[in-house]
Amino acid sequence: MFLYALLSGLTLGGVYALVALGLTIQYGVSRTLNLGYGEFLIGAAFAVFVMFGTFGISPYLLAIVVLPGAFALSWLVYRVMLMPIVRRARSPMALEIDSLLLTFGLLFAIMGIMLLMFGSNYTNYSYLSVPVRVMDATVALNRLISFGVAVVVGIIAYILLMHTRTGMALRAVSVDPVGARLVGIDVNWAAGLAFGLGGAIAAMGGILISTYMTFTAEMGVIFTMKALIVVIMAGVGHVVGALVAGLVLGLIEAFVAAYLDPGLTVAVIYAVFLLTLIIRPQGIFGRVAR
Amino acid sequence: MLEVSNLSVRYGRHLALENAALNVAKGEIVVVLGSNGAGKSTLIKGMAGLVRTEPGAKITLEGTSLHKMPAHRIVDAGLALVPEGRHLFSTLTVNENLMLGAFLPRTRARAEESMERVFAVFPKLKQRLTQIAGTMSGGEQQMVAIGRAMMTCPRLLLLDEPSLGLSPLLTSELFRALPSIATTGTSVLLVEQNSHQSLAIADRGYLIEKGTITGEGTAQELLASEEVQKAYLGM
Repeated sequence: MFLYALLSGLTLGGVYALVALGLTIQYGVSRTLNLGYGEFLIGAAFAVFVMFGTFGISPYLLAIVVLPGAFALSWLVYRVMLMPIVRRARSPMALEIDSLLLTFGLLFAIMGIMLLMFGSNYTNYSYLSVPVRVMDATVALNRLISFGVAVVVGIIAYILLMHTRTGMALRAVSVDPVGARLVGIDVNWAAGLAFGLGGAIAAMGGILISTYMTFTAEMGVIFTMKALIVVIMAGVGHVVGALVAGLVLGLIEAFVAAYLDPGLTVAVIYAVFLLTLIIRPQGIFGRVAR
Repeated sequence: MLEVSNLSVRYGRHLALENAALNVAKGEIVVVLGSNGAGKSTLIKGMAGLVRTEPGAKITLEGTSLHKMPAHRIVDAGLALVPEGRHLFSTLTVNENLMLGAFLPRTRARAEESMERVFAVFPKLKQRLTQIAGTMSGGEQQMVAIGRAMMTCPRLLLLDEPSLGLSPLLTSELFRALPSIATTGTSVLLVEQNSHQSLAIADRGYLIEKGTITGEGTAQELLASEEVQKAYLGM
């Protein structure tokens, strides 16, 4: 049972880590919280569901079209919807509230479109759900692949952010937007790019999850909340923190489900979240703002 | 090389800066003296594009108009600001902070050469490249902030109260560095409350009071003037 919980925790945590990574990039750089984030994940899940059903192409290969699409849409969301309120925001607090209201609306708009197209039925399809033996436990191959892809995407994102000039610029904006403007970085360019990257990462998460999980048009908000918990627990804008905290969250869920009760997972997650907020309000890896 | 006229800034109904005018020549060090809330920071932020300025202002740097340009393009045009509070990338290393100063394509190719110039002015930074900027002392952080601004290869360097929060010793160390920056052809404009030390290194100065520029003169003239002695030098 231990090995089974560990494996299912790692596969789940891998996706949580990935989804949190996308949100922390969006939120950290643009300072606008995207409540419609999870809709991009579910949108991608439906997109591969339809395309896999129609053309029979592997969902993993479909990432080649779905990810750029998600990037472009997210980028547009920032440029068209959020930039006007960023421009007229009088204070960071006002921007926070305006962006929450706006992306709350976005959540319902995208969800409504998906409900119209797919209804509110549970959707799933079968792809590579062949059992694989890992030591004493069996796992579905699609879950293993999903974990592997999450790890690879996480590493690529880390390298891009830490070791490229553009990545350094994105980090600079997330640490100090005023300082970034003073070295010639166009903060709106950076925020648009971060939104696009975040959206693409969410879509990757959606593709991975769709291969082994049942999903509905209304499920986006669950992923937004999970990602948000991870991001806040880790400290906003902290890339490695989001990856670690996401993995830990997945493990906690799996072990609680295996040893206590599957119905308790949400309660335990929120308890851990609350505890973190009480002990370290700036996040486990976050630094106190001065 | 820098010409400013008719520059006004309004915060809501409050007119924080009214029709400010000043100029800075190439290689010159100019100081704007004023007490707290006189509009010094507003003046400098208005030039750097960090606050919205009223229409009708004229800000030109070697013939290029900077008025209403976004802040990041003003940097590209050759005006760099070391802001109040420094706004360093505090969780990044000193090296990353400096390299970000050379973010623009115009400055990227000259990054190594600029870095040498920074080390020539602040040799201390050379040993601190891998340190996280936020863990440094105030004086060292100010050096990084000035170094970062120098990395943008500015024609004009603006400094917003660089002595704020620094010990007198560190302040004089910092002020001694400014003439060596100016000799490389970069003009320096700083706003200060610390009149003694800033006038000692400046070529010229302006006085600002309640949002308007009320006087100007060479550093010697200002040091000798009764008005300045009473208001700023505590004599």
